[in-house]
Amino acid sequence: MAALILDRVTIDFPIYDSQKTFRSALRAATGGLITRDARTPKRVTVRALDDISLTLKDGDRLGLIGHNGAGKSTLLRVCAQVYEPTQGRVFSEGKISPLFNAAPGLDPDDTGYENIMTCALLMGMTRSEIVHKTPDIAEFSGLGEYLFLPVRTYSSGMLTRLSFSIATAIDPEILILDEGLGTGDAQFAEQAKQRVDALIARSSILILASHSDALIQSMCNKAILLQSGRIVREGPVQDVLDAYHGLPRIS
Amino acid sequence: MNAQYGKVFSDIKNGLLDWRMWGRLGWQETVRRYRRTTIGPFWTTLSLGIFVATLGLVWAQLWKQDPKAYLPFLTAGMLAWGLFQSIVTEGCLVFTGASALITSMQISYTTLSCAVVWRNVLVLFHNIIILVIVILYTGSSVTWYSLLAIPGVLLISINGVWLGLLLGAICARFRDTQQIIASILQVSMFVTPIFWSPEQLGSRRNAFVNYNVLYHFVDILRAPLLGKVPEDLSYHVVLGVTVIGWVLTVFVLSRFRRRIPYWL
Repeated sequence: MAALILDRVTIDFPIYDSQKTFRSALRAATGGLITRDARTPKRVTVRALDDISLTLKDGDRLGLIGHNGAGKSTLLRVCAQVYEPTQGRVFSEGKISPLFNAAPGLDPDDTGYENIMTCALLMGMTRSEIVHKTPDIAEFSGLGEYLFLPVRTYSSGMLTRLSFSIATAIDPEILILDEGLGTGDAQFAEQAKQRVDALIARSSILILASHSDALIQSMCNKAILLQSGRIVREGPVQDVLDAYHGLPRIS
Repeated sequence: MNAQYGKVFSDIKNGLLDWRMWGRLGWQETVRRYRRTTIGPFWTTLSLGIFVATLGLVWAQLWKQDPKAYLPFLTAGMLAWGLFQSIVTEGCLVFTGASALITSMQISYTTLSCAVVWRNVLVLFHNIIILVIVILYTGSSVTWYSLLAIPGVLLISINGVWLGLLLGAICARFRDTQQIIASILQVSMFVTPIFWSPEQLGSRRNAFVNYNVLYHFVDILRAPLLGKVPEDLSYHVVLGVTVIGWVLTVFVLSRFRRRIPYWL
């Protein structure tokens, strides 16, 4: 039984040492709302998320859609409980496995096998579980002998395969992916989809942020559209994608 | 507010108990230092050895000390000081250094601080070789009191964990702090009796020795390494600092722990 509930979550990022000109540049670039803190008028904050409420339960596969700077990554990090909201509350039940650019704790100088151990420990597996699952992770990653080499020698696609293999090996109840599959090739994307499908079949939640319509369509069964930190559309995947493509670009 | 205290206590409890995690993180960091170099962390040991051998002999002459007594004193002092200093300087980077990890998953901050302390204790184990060589060379005695080095390292480590949490948080928010602390430590090395013994100060001993917290941290490890018992005062001061430091850290974290990811 997994669940993830966001109750009126707002996130304000403090920006330290920002010049006035920088602030106006930021306003244009992010689409976020830049305000001055009421109590300390000198402090600049960026409102990355504004009054977000979400309820996810078993079997939900949510796609996050939105332009750059709309708040997708921030929302994922709130779901991963990295950022405690400035206002509002987050409630979650179930083991969370986040996968952003690379698996958390991945060190470029360690070998693939060493990283499997470190990352899986960080994700809460025990040493014997990891030893037991390492052949499976190694096989799914398809990296073979490369796992004996330092990770810094990997291509970004290979890094994705390794990270994804580790992140999905722990039987997460809530899997959080940020464009994580973007750099894998078509064959790996297909394998990844099967693995996520199998994961979802064991009753869990997927949250995926991506700019790829095809990926969202194949992996998700509902979606939300974010703009300037607010949910502007939520519902079936196709509806939300249509709304996204009808959205004017932020100038 | 109470909920925040609860979160801080569970962070500390889970972090300390998760020795597999911080053990792994600290160990891998040490293993990495061996990569693509022949002797890895022993370079630190080697430079410490050269430092002690050359300056030790010069200063022994300068201050008209017996080299057979002065060399072990200097070496043991440098070991204790090196452990404390590197824990504090690297402790400042606990959060900024692990920003990729902290912004990608929920992790106990205490685990990260423990990893820093553990990695520096491992460096100490490397450096102890120098002391062994010096003791063999000078024929100094090893006594049962030498075993007090174990509680000495433990006390420094326990303080290192709160120092990392507190200084790490402050340095994440105010990036200048790290430089300030590094400068203070550098000066403190000369003001604290490491190169010279407290007895040399005579009547002015209080200001630089008894009132100097750093002296007591050095003493609880240096004295046992020399086969002696640390002063009672040193244990009292260090235990007092341990309690005050942890209380202060819990207080500060309960107010600012949730802000730390935003500072990175």
